[in-house]
Amino acid sequence: MKLTGPLERVLRVLTADPSAQHYGYDLMKAAKLPSGTLYPMLARLQQDGLVESEWEVQREEAGGRPPRKYYRLTAEGLRVARLELAQASSSSPARQAGYGTARPAPGRTARPAPGSTR
Amino acid sequence: MSRAPRTQRLAEWLIRAACRRLPADVRAERCREWAAELPAILDDESVRPPLRRTLRAFSFCAGVSRTAGQLGRSARASARRSRNSQWRTGAMPNQSGNVAARAILGFGIWLVVVLGFIALARSLTQPPRWLLMAGLALAVAFDAFCLADIARAAQVRYLPKWAWALICLIQTPGGGIAYLSIGHVGRPRPVPPGDATP
Repeated sequence: MKLTGPLERVLRVLTADPSAQHYGYDLMKAAKLPSGTLYPMLARLQQDGLVESEWEVQREEAGGRPPRKYYRLTAEGLRVARLELAQASSSSPARQAGYGTARPAPGRTARPAPGSTR
Repeated sequence: MSRAPRTQRLAEWLIRAACRRLPADVRAERCREWAAELPAILDDESVRPPLRRTLRAFSFCAGVSRTAGQLGRSARASARRSRNSQWRTGAMPNQSGNVAARAILGFGIWLVVVLGFIALARSLTQPPRWLLMAGLALAVAFDAFCLADIARAAQVRYLPKWAWALICLIQTPGGGIAYLSIGHVGRPRPVPPGDATP
């Protein structure tokens, strides 16, 4: 697996809370990626068994909207992602700092900014 | 319920159009998944003004279309790879007859043609012009027949189509005969009902 910038961002979002359920638009906003980059990546990760998906169980309070498809890391995916991210941050501290200073988007839930440990 | 039903309908139509490029087995599920994202985009209160949400929905559709094209291409490529490995080994579902027997038969036909040609050339030291023209026409027609057969065949055995075409052109009777005896895949035999296909 080659860790590209977009892939790194998606993995950061997914590893921030491994049990969280992310749907497509949620991931797009959190990782700041267009759908044309995100979905092929998710399809590839799913094919490699690193990401699993499941359909949302329809509840009453959903207000009649169609069920979403949720993505999350598999156990293997979590292990690989943590390894890759750790390698990335140790090999390029300069780039890492660049990610840390990025302004968080409003309404974003996931990614913890590295460096801001409080 | 979305606040922009018309935008949503248009975007859903775009997504359905994009999904046609997907392989059939994942088409319906992908279509449902992507259409389900639209209300989230169009009702996203953090994006203002509403026009930006509409633009975002359409750019989502464009990205989905790119994704569908990409997934469709990779599915076709993997299908082609598995088909190709089939013809490399000569393992065809409709393989008829022994390959060695067919090769010997083809070689025999080629030998008869060549020996006949040599005998004809020896007996006629000054062949008439019409015979030369007829021979040339026959050679061209045979090549054309073989090339047309290669072009129309769904699959050929052992070599890629372009290699067979090249062989047919380089060695005029021999290449064509070799293709027809070894590389040509006949029509599938009708499977008798109740017969389990492997």
